[in-house]
Amino acid sequence: MTEEARHFETELAVIGSGIAGFAASIFALNKNITTAQVGNTGAVAYTTGYLDLLGKIEGETGAVENPWESVKTLKNNCPNHPLSDISTNDIEEAFIQFTTFLGECGIAYSSPGKTNITALSPAGTLKKTLCLPSTMAPGPKAFAAQKPCVIVDFKGLKGFSGRQVVANLQDKWPNLRTERISFPDMTSGEIYPEVMARALEVEQTREKLAEAIKVVAEAVKVIGLPAVLGMHSPDFVRAELERLTGLEIFEIPTMPPSVPGIRLREMFEQVFPQKGLTLIPQQKVQSLTFKDNEVVLHIRDNYGPITIHAKAVILATGRFLSGGLEAHITGISEALLDLPVTQPEKREDWYLNQYTDVRGHAIHKAGIEVDSSFRPLGKDGKPYHQRLFGAGIILAHQDWIRSRSGAGIAIATAYKAVEAVDNFLHA
Amino acid sequence: MSDQKTPTINFKEKAMELLPEGASFEACLTCGLCSSGCPASGLENMDPRKFIRMAMLGMDEELSTTPWVWCCTQCKRCQHVCPMNIDISQLVFIARGNWPQEKKPAGIVRSCQLIRSTDSTSAMGLPPEDFVFVVDDVLKEVRETQSGFENLQAPMDKKGAHFFVNQNSREPMNEPDEMVPLWKIFDMVGADWTYSSKGWAAENFCMFSGDDDAWYQVIKTRVDAVHELDCKVWLNTECGHSYYTMWNAIAKFGMDVNFKLESLVTYYAQWIREGKLPVNSDWNVNNIKFTVQDPCMIVRKAYGDAIADDMRFVVKKLVGEENFIDMQPNRSANYCCGGGGGFLQAGMTEHRRAYGKRKFDQIAATKAAYVLTPCHNCHSQMEDIGHFYGGDYGVVHFWTLICLSLGILGENERTYLGPDLLALID
Repeated sequence: MTEEARHFETELAVIGSGIAGFAASIFALNKNITTAQVGNTGAVAYTTGYLDLLGKIEGETGAVENPWESVKTLKNNCPNHPLSDISTNDIEEAFIQFTTFLGECGIAYSSPGKTNITALSPAGTLKKTLCLPSTMAPGPKAFAAQKPCVIVDFKGLKGFSGRQVVANLQDKWPNLRTERISFPDMTSGEIYPEVMARALEVEQTREKLAEAIKVVAEAVKVIGLPAVLGMHSPDFVRAELERLTGLEIFEIPTMPPSVPGIRLREMFEQVFPQKGLTLIPQQKVQSLTFKDNEVVLHIRDNYGPITIHAKAVILATGRFLSGGLEAHITGISEALLDLPVTQPEKREDWYLNQYTDVRGHAIHKAGIEVDSSFRPLGKDGKPYHQRLFGAGIILAHQDWIRSRSGAGIAIATAYKAVEAVDNFLHA
Repeated sequence: MSDQKTPTINFKEKAMELLPEGASFEACLTCGLCSSGCPASGLENMDPRKFIRMAMLGMDEELSTTPWVWCCTQCKRCQHVCPMNIDISQLVFIARGNWPQEKKPAGIVRSCQLIRSTDSTSAMGLPPEDFVFVVDDVLKEVRETQSGFENLQAPMDKKGAHFFVNQNSREPMNEPDEMVPLWKIFDMVGADWTYSSKGWAAENFCMFSGDDDAWYQVIKTRVDAVHELDCKVWLNTECGHSYYTMWNAIAKFGMDVNFKLESLVTYYAQWIREGKLPVNSDWNVNNIKFTVQDPCMIVRKAYGDAIADDMRFVVKKLVGEENFIDMQPNRSANYCCGGGGGFLQAGMTEHRRAYGKRKFDQIAATKAAYVLTPCHNCHSQMEDIGHFYGGDYGVVHFWTLICLSLGILGENERTYLGPDLLALID
């Protein structure tokens, strides 16, 4: 049986299906650059849904209230940080384009504000973020206004405990209590947020849940729920539950596997092909061939070989979890092209002795180097190839988890990389 | 129930052998995306994540004997959403094969035996001569009773025909009139096709029983039948797993074949694009809503999204773009309905319906009046869960709606139409 190879021609190929990869595709679509995106199931399904720009600066105490001012200080504190050379205007434009796109495609987000929002974590701790889904927006407002509120959780649901949320917040939010209810028609065994969210797309399930919520709300008018309010029409589901209960309802992220990330991934998988983007999800690029006039991506799925012929490529393959970087006994390598990786000199320097050491671990700043046009550097210190660009957390000199800047780095560097691609393609 | 002990498999060893390139159990975060996205999670107190963790912990006896392997439909959705690309369905296949024959679900074993009992490879045991008779009989009746189809053809064993067409046994056995819309479509597009008296049947329960040797034998009979007639294309009709069982086996067993494997859905789309099937949605004056079910076996497990897009193209042409509502999630991310993997024949009705609740929710969320699907197992399961959970949707074959749109759907070919659709014809 002969296999039929499939070929695609495109201006830009984006490798990676995390926030950076999806953001790059959005910016490319906005610039009318024909785009193909390919990447294994990325880490996007693990996101809380919050889009952080910058929540903490290395060497400074306290959380960042004004990320725009703090980004400017990165230039002094962390001059090699990927955000330090990007103007706040560009970062803001990138966030606006990204959140606008999400909103137009059915997942409404708050626009980037002048300051960070104090948002609730799945454990009921507080964190700083810049933009959040509209389904979550009333939570921080209710907290700021200290409104009486009930956190409702569900029998059989792991990864979200109302009791834990209330315990962590009780000193800061005195009018908070929790109630546990059964999710309609799921009364036994472990239940997952994903399943609950899909069930809430059904009118009858919403009606039953609304009744159960009304019972435990008593006189309280604000209800916090784990993030389960629908998968494909979350804003509608929330509005319907508010209509049915007469209460204000908001979502709090849950531990992975959580709904906000699955929402984003499934939305992208729906919308991108409709917008003319060639999306090849759940596949890794096996190899790249660079030619004078194009780059060829080699992929293989269940059905056989696929090749993508692109004029430019953005590498947004992430770090260890997504497979962009690989850790070996001898050191850290970049998985696809063996690009040089900036990393601690010795393996024993990867981690400090204490996991929670406030200084953080050196391995978390490992990554590839790029020039001012976001072209990854090769072993000779020069751009690896004029058609190759890089974006996202594969870039070195940042510890995105500790600095609460994962989405900021992904979105802003993707924006700049696409800008550079556009200049290259249309110079 | 037999007293024969189920042998114990070393699942960790098997799992390591099966890991695709680049995949790693060490990197498994136990994040649970697999279980979260699996409709079989919780049945028999098991889920995909638990299965893998138990394998890593060496809990081989428990895994070798858990009936959950008959609830998992091997739909591969767990692998689809796994960042580490871990294929749990292959472990389930090995576990199924390891069960003593006497302990396996009798419905699956019996169907496999029947498939191997005649050259038809029919899970209902319909022998070649009976198939030939039924086709001939139905054809005669159509020619005599349906105006415009006096010369309708249903070629049998026609050497050198372009298409070798298979058929799910349910049609010749239980509802032979359901074959007619397909013949009419072939007639309209001028297809050069044939049935074969040997290897004509679509279904393969030997694959579901985890029996490699039996699976191979079934496919060999079918491959030999296509070669014997020297056809260019083995055309899979509206049956999901029949495509996968043939396509996968050819690669898995390294079989030498000189024909192409194609799905009828692809040709529906092609013939509509070429104008050979001049369908339209003008008939849908009441804007009846339709959704589509992507069979795992031809979408996620074989072709990928390309065939799912073809299906949507066809449906939109048939019912009107505004009357098509996609299920969520869909295409390669779609949920298995619970009719696959032999679940319908495994005698585990309560579990199967619990599994199907997610599909029911998906369909209910669309508020569609009908689900279209090119798969018999999907068809039966969605009908059953619809009745069980109180849904009011119908399930229809593509061929039915194509012929309805073309105004050539005979009176005996309307079994799956509800009063709303029947009213538009009469």
